Amino acid sequence: MNEEKFIEVDNLQKVYEDNGYQAIKSVSFNVKKGDLVCLLGPSGCGKTTILNMVAGLLKPTSGDIRFDGKSIINTEPKDRNIGYVFQNYALYPHMTVLQNVMFPLTVGEHKKNKREAQEIAERYMKLTDIMRFSDQRPVRLSGGQQQRVAIARALVQEPKILLMDEPLSNLDARLRLQIREEIRALVKKVGITTLFVTHDQEEALSIGDKIILFNNGIVQQDDIGQRFYLEPNNQFVANFIGNPVIDNFEVTVEGGTVKGSDFAFDQNLLSEDRFKSPLEDGQYMLSVRPENILPVDEEDGQLTETIDDVELIGRECILKFTHDGHQARSLIGLGDRELHHGDVIHLKMALDRVFIFKPNGERVY
Amino acid sequence: MKKINFGLLLVYLFVGIFAIITVFPFIYMILGGLMSFQETTTIPPTFFPHHLQWGNYGKVFAEAPFAKYFLNTLITASVTTIVSLFNSILGAFALTNLRFKGKAVVKVIMLSLLMVPGEAIIFTNYNTIARMGLLNTYIGLVLPFLTSIFYMYYLMTYFGAISPTIYKAAMIDGASDWEYVWRILVPMSKGGLFTVGLLSFISGWNSFLWPLLVTNEDSMRLLNNGLSAFASDAGSETELQLAAATLTVLPILVIYFIFRKQIIRGVVRNDLKA
Repeated sequence: MNEEKFIEVDNLQKVYEDNGYQAIKSVSFNVKKGDLVCLLGPSGCGKTTILNMVAGLLKPTSGDIRFDGKSIINTEPKDRNIGYVFQNYALYPHMTVLQNVMFPLTVGEHKKNKREAQEIAERYMKLTDIMRFSDQRPVRLSGGQQQRVAIARALVQEPKILLMDEPLSNLDARLRLQIREEIRALVKKVGITTLFVTHDQEEALSIGDKIILFNNGIVQQDDIGQRFYLEPNNQFVANFIGNPVIDNFEVTVEGGTVKGSDFAFDQNLLSEDRFKSPLEDGQYMLSVRPENILPVDEEDGQLTETIDDVELIGRECILKFTHDGHQARSLIGLGDRELHHGDVIHLKMALDRVFIFKPNGERVY
Repeated sequence: MKKINFGLLLVYLFVGIFAIITVFPFIYMILGGLMSFQETTTIPPTFFPHHLQWGNYGKVFAEAPFAKYFLNTLITASVTTIVSLFNSILGAFALTNLRFKGKAVVKVIMLSLLMVPGEAIIFTNYNTIARMGLLNTYIGLVLPFLTSIFYMYYLMTYFGAISPTIYKAAMIDGASDWEYVWRILVPMSKGGLFTVGLLSFISGWNSFLWPLLVTNEDSMRLLNNGLSAFASDAGSETELQLAAATLTVLPILVIYFIFRKQIIRGVVRNDLKA
């Protein structure tokens, strides 16, 4: 048994037959046993499609999925040994909470007798803290409580793999924070390998052991959380991850100088060891995280800008300015300096933390 | 002084007049069934019988086998209801949840069949039943009505309203299609099934043309045909005709009365009429 490759998705492809849309171009990744892996991406990137193919609800056009080394591509969903938590929970409205959780144990070939089924169901209901709703219908429960019922029902068959499709998107912001921690604690306690689909980067960063970021039907980056932030594979990843979003400046490299509109610096100021490939003359995109471009004294500044707007976000505030027709941001600590709309500031980029991308998105620095 | 809402008054007046027009014959039928022969035929007509002639019902039962008609009707209406409901559930489930080749074609064919009026195929149906030697049998009476595309389509709107993820969840929970249908789909669609059941039972109870064609033995007649035969046999005994008519309509009136809410809700909700 290969713990590292508990779930193997190999060159998966999905073309919808009815409209010829290529939802998944070619996707391969592995999931380690016991890991909670987030499938992240903007809507329409194919993350739910992948989850549904792993679940067997959708048939891939080509490629293979292996659980524990065995291909399950031709296995029925019920025989894949999976639990699935749907975005809208998909609880059976005519059954009580107990009946909902018991349901998987009362159908199919592995049917248990009623007493045994109830015992197992109650064990998982205690684990998810829903025992007190046992006799209620799901309609009477709040979103968070319904969520727990759905999780208990998914776990009750003691599956090897748990699949969750945006399980938090129907909850309000505060509850979302709480439940996501609960989910992580729970799946770690049960020790189940989990695939968690989300479009929310913050959610993915906070609960995922590993994140796989998708766009346009391919994997953009398959990595641990902080690497997305510190070492984005390409322009898409840099743009997608981070809040406030990254600042992008168009630059031209010519004879050892990096030139933007209104600013320029010597290429030698960039750290030698961060180059992925040599920086040849041409057009590039210089991307800077807003916390790496900060107001400084006039003599140290690389850019001079006028503040359009100041937005408070808790402990920090975002200074917004327009550079070369595009909005850019600088993130400063609250109280560092009193700044207002219309103030002129001088900004300096931390050049050892900026990224440089080719026009095709490939990262150079 | 409160202003009189003339619009509303007009509406009530209109509804009131139509209610009287519709309800009056029923009331007269019930009352007439309890009159003496003279009372039913006098001019000006009597409305309230002087003495309630309950004996009329005894005479009706004595003169024609109404109990047998009643039983026949009950059997055929129940069998058509149960079997067509069963078939409609499975058909509607298949067309809603299952994926199979040619599903769209099947749907179109079904829909076009739905547009063929029953009267148009009644003769071919009669031929078939006659050749199968099923005239004057229960099977002959019910066979053409054991499947109903209309009820199937009706149920499809109910089944289609159930989120498809419920079906997916059931699949992952390990339920077979059969278990899904009976443990989830049916209990979740009680309202629709109830309406279909009622509509089917009522139309079975009221059927006239088909039983008239395929039965000619008195022992196989249904209530409506029995009634029409009785009307000609009983000749001029108007009070007995009215009593017999009451007998025929009464069970369905009771059903309507008990389930009127469900019937109205069921028909209104789906914007479909039987």
